[in-house]
Amino acid sequence: MTITPPRYRPHDLPSSIPSAPAPAPAPAPAPTRRAPATLPLEGSAAHTPFAVRLAGLRRTFGARSGEVVAVDHVDLTVEPGEIVALLGPNGAGKSTTLDVVLGLIEATAGEAAVFGMRPRSAVEAGLVAGVLQTGGLLPDLRVGEVVEYVAAAYRRLPHAGVDDVLERAGITHLAARRVSKCSGGEQQRLRFALALLPDPRLLVLDEPTAGMDVTARREFWATMHEEAERGRTVVFATHYLEEADSFADRIVLVAGGRVVADGSTEEIRSRAAGKVVSARVLDPAAASRRLTALDLPGDVRLETQGHRVLVHVRDVEAADAAAITLLTACDGRDLTVVPASLDEAFVALTSQTTSQTMHQEIR
Amino acid sequence: MSTSTLAPSAVDPGHRTPTRLHLAGLLPDPTMLRLEARRVLRDPITLLFTVALPGFMFLVFGSSQDYAGDAVGNGNVAMAIMIAMAGYGAVTATVGLGASAAVERSHGWGRQLGMTPQRDIGYAAVKASLAVLVALLPALVVFALGLLTGAEGAVRAWALSFVVVAAGAVVFALYGLCFGLRFPSEGAATAASLSVVLLSFLGNIFFPLSGALLTIAKFTPLYGYVALARYPLTEGWVITGGDLVHESLWVPLTNVVAWTAVLAVAATLLVRRSRARQ
Repeated sequence: MTITPPRYRPHDLPSSIPSAPAPAPAPAPAPTRRAPATLPLEGSAAHTPFAVRLAGLRRTFGARSGEVVAVDHVDLTVEPGEIVALLGPNGAGKSTTLDVVLGLIEATAGEAAVFGMRPRSAVEAGLVAGVLQTGGLLPDLRVGEVVEYVAAAYRRLPHAGVDDVLERAGITHLAARRVSKCSGGEQQRLRFALALLPDPRLLVLDEPTAGMDVTARREFWATMHEEAERGRTVVFATHYLEEADSFADRIVLVAGGRVVADGSTEEIRSRAAGKVVSARVLDPAAASRRLTALDLPGDVRLETQGHRVLVHVRDVEAADAAAITLLTACDGRDLTVVPASLDEAFVALTSQTTSQTMHQEIR
Repeated sequence: MSTSTLAPSAVDPGHRTPTRLHLAGLLPDPTMLRLEARRVLRDPITLLFTVALPGFMFLVFGSSQDYAGDAVGNGNVAMAIMIAMAGYGAVTATVGLGASAAVERSHGWGRQLGMTPQRDIGYAAVKASLAVLVALLPALVVFALGLLTGAEGAVRAWALSFVVVAAGAVVFALYGLCFGLRFPSEGAATAASLSVVLLSFLGNIFFPLSGALLTIAKFTPLYGYVALARYPLTEGWVITGGDLVHESLWVPLTNVVAWTAVLAVAATLLVRRSRARQ
C-alpha cells in the first residue's frame, strides 16, 4: 500500500523506467547496482556494455600544502541508455567525478573507462561530450560563431552541422546574437548545442540548469528528454532533488566524495526516509505498545499527536505491517501513508554518511 | 559478460575512430583562425592602441622632427624611429593577445575545448598564427607611413627589418601568456600591454638612452628585439646622447635568444601549474 504524490514529469515520463531501454546482458544487477571493484576494466568496446565505469576512483588536489580529497572512493557503472543523476550537496565530488569522465582531469587512483576506453580516447572518438557549469564561452563571438569554432575542433570526425545543433538546442533565432548579450539560460543552451556537435552517445551535464528560472529549466529538461529518447546515455550532476527525481531513471547519491546510495528514484526515496504511517486511535498508549511489539524492520520511530499515532518507517514492508496493525489490532481510523519528502531523504542520507566517513577517517 | 553485445545506440562507435594526427595537426585550423581574427577586429580599443598609437607616435617623434633626415647606417633617423615604433605596436598587439588567451583559457574556454578532440598543439598553432597576423597589422601601417613621410634606407634593410619586427613580436606573445597565467583576470591584457610601455622606454625605443641606463637597457627584453630589427638599417650603430656608438650583432642576438628561452620556460611552467590547479 503506497501513495505516491503527483510530481512533475516533462513529457509525461513514465513513473518508473527500467534501467536501460535495451537490456544489456550485464552481470545480474545487484539492488544497489554498485559494481564490484575487482571487475577488469580492460577489453574491447564490444565486450564492455558500460557507458561509464568507475572503479575505486579517487582524486585529490594540491600536493604540497594540505591535500584536499575531492573524490574519495567512487564505484559507478552506467549502462548505455540510462539516465543517471549524480545528486549531492556542494563539494560532494560530483563535478570532479564528471571531469574525470570527460577526460579533463586524470584520476589520482582507481580506474575510469568510457565505453571501455580511456576517457580522453572516448572524447577523441566523439563518443562523449559535456555541458559544463559555468564559463567556457567567448563573450565577444556570436552564438553561431561559437558553434562554428567548436565544430572546427571536430573537423576530423563526422559531426552534426552548425544549423542542426542550433535548432536542436532551440537557439536558431539567437545565432547572430553576441554571447555576452545572452541570458544564463540561453548561454546554457549554447553549451548544450556545442555538446551535440559530435553526436555523442554519452552526454555529461554538470548542474546544467544552475542559474535558470523555472521556465527555462523546464524547457531545458524537455529538450534533454528528446535527446535521451534518441538513445543517448545521460549522466548529470545536480543538487536539485526534484530535478533528479523527475528526469533521472536512477539516482546516485554522492556525499563526501563517496557514493552514499544508488538506485531508482523510488528506491532512494524509500530507502532514505521511508514513509510515515499514521491513524487516529482511541488509546494511543496501547497502540504504541502493540506497534513496538511488532518489532518492525529497520529504524522505526513512534510519535503521538493527541489521538493520532505516527509511525516513521524505512521501507514498504514495515509501512504495510504498521498500517495493518493500526487498522486491525488498534481499531485505527483515518489512515494515511505519506512518503517522507525527498528533502528529508537527502539530508538524512548525506549527513549520515558524512559522519560515517568522518568516523572512518578518525579510525 | 564476455559474450555480451552492445545495446543499440544512435551511433556506432566503429565508424568513429579518428584519423591519426599527421602534420595537419600542426597547421592552424582556418575556421578558428578566421573567427579569432574577427574577434581582434571587433575590439576597437585594442586596434587603437596597437595600430593607431604607434603610427601617431611615429609621425610626432619621427618624421616631423628636424633630426628625421640625419643619416644612420644605410638610411636616416626617421627609418630607425619607424622600425622602433612598428616593433612597439607589434609587441603591444602580441602581448595583449597572449594575455587574453591565457585569461579566456582559465575562464573555462580551455575546459570547453578540452572536451573536444582538439589538442593543445592545435590551439597553440591557431594563437601563434594569429600573433603573426596581429603583429603584421601595426608593422604594415607604420612602415607604410614611413614610406610616405621620408624614411630612407636600403631595400634590403626595409625587407629584413620588417621580417624581424613581425617574427620577433611573436616571442612576446609568450610574455603576455605568462602575464595572463600569473594574473588571470580580465585586466591582465591591459596591464600586460601597459607594462610594454615601460619596457619600451628601457628598450631604447622611445628616445635614445645613454650611460648607465643604456647599460641596464641591454638586459631588458625589448632592447634586443628592436636593436636586431634596426640592425639591417644601422649596421650596428647606436645613437646615444648625440654620438654614434658601434655595437656588435651578438649583443642584441644574445638578448633575444636569452629572453626567448626565459619566456618559453616560464610559460611552460605556468601552464603546467595552471593544469595542476584545475
